[in-house]
Formats: sequence, C-alpha cells, structure tokens
Amino acid sequence: MESTIRTVEIMREKALAVQTVFTTVAGLREAFSYAVELTGSQGGKTLAAPGLGGEDRRELAALCEQRGISLVWENLRGHLGRIHTGFTVAQWGIAETGTVVLDSTSEDVRIASMLSETHIAVVPRSAVKPGAVDLAGELQEMMKRPGSYVAFISGASRTADIERVLTIGVHGPQEFHILISGENGG
Amino acid sequence: MITTPSDVREYRRDLKRALRNQFLGNTLETFASAFRISRARAFEGIDLPGLIGEIAEGKDASIQRLEELFQSFKTHAEAAGVKVHTARTALEANALIASIAAENGVKRIVKGKSMTAEETFLNDHLEKAGFQVTETDLGEWIIQLRGEGPSHMVMPAIHLSRKEVAELFTRVTGTPQDPENIDGMVKVARRELRQAYLEADMGITGANFAVADTGTIGLVTNEGNGRLVTTLPRVHVALVGFDKLVPDLPSALRILKALPRNATGQPISTYVTWITGATQCTTAPEGRKVMHIVFLDNGRLALARDPLFSQALRCIRCGACANVCPIYKLVGGHNYGHVYIGAIGLILTYFYHGRQNARAIVRACLNCQACKAVCPAGIDLPHLIKEVLRTVLETEGRKPAKNRLLARILPNRKLFHFLLRRAYLAQRPLTGGGEYIRHLPLFFSPEHQFRSLPAITGTPLRDRWHKMAPQVKDPSIRVALFGGCLVDFVYPEQAAAFLELVKDRNVQVEYPQDQTCCGLPAKMMGENTVAKAVAIQNLKAIDPADYDYIVTLCASCGSHIRENYPKLLGDSSGFGVKMHQFMDKIIDFSSFLANVLKVEPAMFREGGPKAAYHAPCHLCRGLGVTQEPRELIGTAGMEYAPAKDEDVCCGFGGSFSLEFPELSAELLTRKLDCVEAAGADLLVTDCPGCVLQLRGGMDRREGKKIPVKHIAEALAEQKRANGRRSG
Ligand code: SF4
Ligand code: SF4
Repeated sequence: MESTIRTVEIMREKALAVQTVFTTVAGLREAFSYAVELTGSQGGKTLAAPGLGGEDRRELAALCEQRGISLVWENLRGHLGRIHTGFTVAQWGIAETGTVVLDSTSEDVRIASMLSETHIAVVPRSAVKPGAVDLAGELQEMMKRPGSYVAFISGASRTADIERVLTIGVHGPQEFHILISGENGG
Repeated sequence: MITTPSDVREYRRDLKRALRNQFLGNTLETFASAFRISRARAFEGIDLPGLIGEIAEGKDASIQRLEELFQSFKTHAEAAGVKVHTARTALEANALIASIAAENGVKRIVKGKSMTAEETFLNDHLEKAGFQVTETDLGEWIIQLRGEGPSHMVMPAIHLSRKEVAELFTRVTGTPQDPENIDGMVKVARRELRQAYLEADMGITGANFAVADTGTIGLVTNEGNGRLVTTLPRVHVALVGFDKLVPDLPSALRILKALPRNATGQPISTYVTWITGATQCTTAPEGRKVMHIVFLDNGRLALARDPLFSQALRCIRCGACANVCPIYKLVGGHNYGHVYIGAIGLILTYFYHGRQNARAIVRACLNCQACKAVCPAGIDLPHLIKEVLRTVLETEGRKPAKNRLLARILPNRKLFHFLLRRAYLAQRPLTGGGEYIRHLPLFFSPEHQFRSLPAITGTPLRDRWHKMAPQVKDPSIRVALFGGCLVDFVYPEQAAAFLELVKDRNVQVEYPQDQTCCGLPAKMMGENTVAKAVAIQNLKAIDPADYDYIVTLCASCGSHIRENYPKLLGDSSGFGVKMHQFMDKIIDFSSFLANVLKVEPAMFREGGPKAAYHAPCHLCRGLGVTQEPRELIGTAGMEYAPAKDEDVCCGFGGSFSLEFPELSAELLTRKLDCVEAAGADLLVTDCPGCVLQLRGGMDRREGKKIPVKHIAEALAEQKRANGRRSG
C-alpha cells in the first residue's frame, strides 16, 4: 500500500514534467464530472467516450446534457474534426515515465485519443506499475492478440522541429489529462 | 535529390560554404550543449554502461539470427492478417510498395518519418509513379516542401531558421507567416496535414522495432503523426530494415529505455505504439486494414555476416553520434553524411549508398571518439570509420601520395628517423632559428596558416637520452618511457620535465632505443599493414617483463596501443601475450604521477598560474582518464580554471588538420575562445599533439596569448619554483 502511494507519486512527478495534467479522483463518477467540467470550460461541444455503455453511459450523458455537450460513444469516424474531448479508460500506468498504456485496438479509442483537442485518460490506481518491465508479461499477452493496437502515451503531442522550440499539439491532442481513480490503497 | 561530393577538393568547397553559415554553427553548438545536459539528466539513476552492454549484446545476438527472427515474425504477423514481404534492394522495396498502392487503388499517401524510406528514396519513386505523397512529421514535411534530405536523423530540419520556415509556409499557404510565431506555424502544419490524413488512402511508416515472437511492430514518435498514419487510411505499409528485428518485447523495451533518452534527452517519447497485424479500420472493405510489412535487406543480411562491420547494425538511429561530433557541429548533416548522418552515416553511406558517396566524407573524421562515447549500442564508430576508409582506399588502388610515402618510410625506423633529422636541417631557413616554422614551405596552402608549426628539434630525445638518463642504484620502480614521435623529435623538453618530476623518487627510467612511432598516423590513414609493422617493432623494442610501467606523455600513443594493438595484431600474431602485458603496463603521465607516485602538494610551490585544462580526446575517452590531471593542477599549487567544452577536440586529429585545415582552424578557434573566457593565464594538457595544435594556434591568435604547456612542464615548473623558494 505504502508502495502504491509512492508509485503514484512518482507517476505524478514524471507526468507533470511532460506537461500532463495529473489528478486523482475517487471513481468513475468523479472522472465524469471532471471531463464534463473541463470540456465546458474549454468551450467544447462534443465529448467522445468510446465503448462506454450501460449505467455509466447514462450517467455521463446526463452530465453532458446539463452542460449542453453532446456525447458520442461509437462510430467516431462520423465525428472526425468535431470531437473536443476524448475520454478513455486506460489499462495501466507506468510511473517511471508518466505513461498511460491504452489498449487502442478499437478504432474508436484511437480516434478519441488522437483526434481530440483534449484527451483524458482514467487509470485505476491499482494498475499503476513502477516500470514498463513490470508489465512485460501483460503487454505481451495483449500483443499476442491479432489486430491489437497498444499505445503508450506520455503527454500531449509535441514537436521541436522549428528551431528546437518545444511546441505542444502538432498532430494529436493539445492537452493530456491523467486521472488516477480509486481510493488510496484501493 | 541528395548529392554528396566524391572529390575531396569539391567537398572542401562545400565545407567552407557551410562554415560561413553562422546560423547553422550557432544552432548546432547550442543544441550540443543543451543535449549534453538533458541526456545526462535523462540517464540519472540508470546504470548506463550496463545498459549499453546489454543492448549491444542483445543486438549482436539478434544480428546473428536475423533470418530466423524474420521467419518467426512472418509467421506471427501473417497469422494476424498481414502480408509480409522481403525486398533485396532499395528498388525492389520501392517497386513493391508502388504495386501495393496500385493494387489497392490508392491515390494519396501519408507518411510517417522513416530513415529506411529515406534510404530507398521511396518518395521519389512513388511520386514518379503518379502517387501524391505527404510527409506528416513536421520536420520531414518542411524538408519535403523544400526538396531536401534530412540534416539530422531525429530532427530533420534542424538546419533551418524560423525565418526560412516562415518563408516556406507563406509560399505554401499563400498567407504571410510571422517567423516569431512558431506556435502559429505549427498550427499551420496541423491544419494542412490534418487534411492530408483525412484524404489519404494509404499510410507508410517505418518501424523502430519488429518484435519476432508476436509479429508486432513498434513505432516511437513525439508528434503522434505515426498514430494517425496507421489509423486513418485504409492501407498501411511498414518499411522495416532487417536490423530492426528483436526476439521479444523485453528486448524492445530495453532499447526503448535508451532510445529517447539518448536521442532527445526525454525519458520516453510521447507516443510508443505497438501494432500486431491488421487492425480495425471501419473504412476498409472488411473492416480490417489492408496491411503489408516490407523487410528491406539492401545489404543488411550480408553486413550481418561480416565479423567487423556487423556492429553497424546495432544502430538504433538515435542520432546522438551526430549531436556530439565536432565536425557535425560545424558543418551540419548535409555535409556530414549522405542519407544517414553523423558517425554512423559515414559508415552506412559506404554500404547502402556506395563508395562514390562515401569516399570524401569518410576522410573527415578526427578520431576524437566523442561519438563512440555517446553511442547507446556501444558501436566502435571511429574504428569502423577508419576501416571503411581503408576499404575504400584499397578498393580504389590509387592511394594518396601521403599514404604511399608513409608506407615506404614508416616501417623502416632508421630511414624514418634519418628523415626526421634531415628535416631539422631542411627547416632551418623556415624557422629563422626559433621554435616555430615561420614560413611554411610552398606545398602548404594559406589555409594551413591558422597555427604555427613547431620546429623539429636539433637533438631528438633518443640522442640526448644518455646524458639525461637518471642514475638510480636500487630502484623501487622501473619505468620504460614510450616517447612517441612528437616527444622524441619535437618536444624532448616534455620528457625532461617528466624526469625532473620523478627525480629523488627512486624511479629508474629507460628509453629503449628501438622504439618507434606508435602507428596511430598509419591507422588514421587506413594503412593497417604499416600500423601493424610498427606495432610489432615496438613490442620487440620494449619487453614489458623488464619494467613495472611503460609511461607515455602522449595520450594518443597510449590509447592507440591500448585500443588498436589488439585489433591490429590479434592474439594469433605470436605477440599476443607480450602485447597484453605491454597494454597492462602502459600508463599516461598524469595517472602515473597521481596514482603511482602519489605526488603531494609539499613538492610544489604554493600558488601559481590560473590554469585551464584541455582534456585530450585520447586521454579522457581513449584511456578514460579524467580526474587525475585536474587534481594534479591543484596538487601542484595552481588554481584550476574550468573552461567550457574541455573535452571537445582541439581539432588536431593528426593528418586530419592537414587534410581539412579549415575545419581544424575553426575547432581550434572555438577551443581557444573557451580557454580565454575561463580567465586562465596558462593552458595545460597532456598530449603533445594537442600542445602542437593549441600552442600553434595561440601563437597566431590576435590579442591575448596564453602560454600552453604539457602538464608535465607545468608541474616541473611548480616544483622548480618550490626548490627556489626553499633553497
Ligand atoms: S570520432 Fe569524432 S570526428 Fe569522428 S565521427 Fe566520431 S565524433 Fe565525429
Ligand atoms: S550509431 Fe549509435 S549513437 Fe549513432 S545513431 Fe546509431 S545508435 Fe545512435
């Protein structure tokens, strides 16, 4: 437990170092409010939450409606160019590099995380590992599946190609938010 | 189309033009300084030598079984719905990719950054075949629009200023762009390229890894363009060099630990993407992407079987060997490589793009070892560069006059030394009796005037030795002094200073008379046979069993003996054992004084000049000695004045400075500027080659002339001053 707290702390440090916004939330519900608030405050009109279903989706939809944001969760190709916020639930976090591991096998997940202005990824606290090597086994299992697309994401899209000046948001999202969800030790 | 001169004279013209480009020089210099810091920070807490060792070992093991790894990759990838191809040549790869595009009714193509595609000139081929190709990495897009090749393997447009980019974007968009608004220009690219992604039918990428046991490719990018290229279009083709094969994910992760840290000083690149097989793609006919992976041979499989050059396949394309290279810093990637750039570029150009493109550029290496010290795959880059040079010279069979001369003279020590003595007489009209050659003979051009050349001494060390040799009855340490040509024939006073310092320490010093040139100049010129012949002479001249140490005042000799004798002689030469004993006993001056004699402050005067230090390449990287000389400065009562870039090459590089005087001069100027800025009133170093360069440059320098001394001379002076005080 002590070590999870420490690991999440390291992850925060490393994430902040690459301009990622890093927060903790109690659970999915709080993550939803965060996403809707953020989208609203940025003037976003569309929030994409690929793969979200059932009660969760209804809950998020209700919050979106209150802020006048439309929620999309499938066939995201049809919304290219209009998605403000991509909301995804990641599989793991890697503390040593501030990285989120996102199974992006579904095309919708890819679109939500690549073609949005702001990408929010929720990572369960228990899924934060100290280093990539601690995940080698799990990652290998994921990669064995035909057609799998696994993404390590560590910050917002960046370039330094003009006079080495660091510039954020060249192709992908201009902001990247990590929400660690679950109580301490949870 | 990229052109690289094959003629040295033409190449020197290009180099001179590049040296006049101040923006380039400043940018690369600032970058190099920033890189050094960010790289060090990125590797904090990581056992870097351990990691390099693991990467090298892992890569070597893979290189030995590329075909087996390929079969495994193919089986797994094909099971996941990919068509895997091999292309033996660049043309075959290009034609294959064009036919995949044609079969799939493709018109527009978006590309992720790929050095392998640069290698095959894929874009040219596809465009000629009627396809529209858009590079999506910002830097690559910029140079594509300008019709240039990359000038760096990681930062392809590093040679361009914001002003040049603004002009380009103004032309492309038809709206004026503000050069000061870099963010705005990036947004222009974002907009324009977003459109290209949406319209493209096919995406082409390279791969940083091809993971055999799952059939997965790994892509490392910061911009995220690789993800869009592999997601939006319905067809994806990856062009992958055979050298990118790794057995499994842990091997890839090990490389990933070093790649971004060594490339850009980042702990990890923003996006690392692992793709196994044909992924979901809702616009493709069956909801799955049409995916092809083309493995490029183009000489790699043959390279893999070469006992020496196979090392080059370890390269993970981090670009660091360019960042730290003093020559790259001066002239940029368009003048220091063909397609592949920097140290590894000099090597790969020969294999992938041919002798004509390699023959001039491969000469422009100082052997300063900076590239080798920074390579995360532990490639012995300077050695491979010299071996390429040798191969080129041998293939061409018409060696430069200086090579032919060297081959005739150097192996015959008596002739060589006779000529050096004659040279003393011949130079007299040129020196006016002073310590420098005041007038260069006619065969030197005015470009060689950037430093004064020292006069050859009238009485070489070997001839005055019988008078100098210390007489010690019952020595506690027996030393053979390995002089090297410069100490023997130009600076015997450096040896005298050494003797002064060991006096009263019960050290017996001998100067075995049959010793000769260490052979480094021959190695530098690709004359391995000559280098080997003189190596054997030295092993015969000095029997390591007779001595406790073989001390040298010349870091270049020391590092050449330690590093290259085994490569030249091997263990089967019959000299194997003696050679290793010789190598074990050879020690540089500073280490001998600091670690063996353990000299103490009491021996020296307290207080003295403020001394800057130049770290010779062959001492700090070649022999790995960094602490001792700096400590000695303090021990000897002087004040150490740290200077910027102490361990950057002074530009001597032996015959390099004669072949490329303009590069040598520029490096020297930068070095002396740093020394001056440090506020030093003395410059010390521990290699007579560096003394030659630095002192000669100081002599020609306008303004303040700071004396330059071998550290032995500086220490002897401090000791003498102490004697005067107490005496
Ligand atoms: S040895 Fe020095 S000059 Fe030669 S390629 Fe390496 S860094 Fe450049
Ligand atoms: S040779 Fe080494 S330093 Fe140069 S690019 Fe390759 S891996 Fe990097």
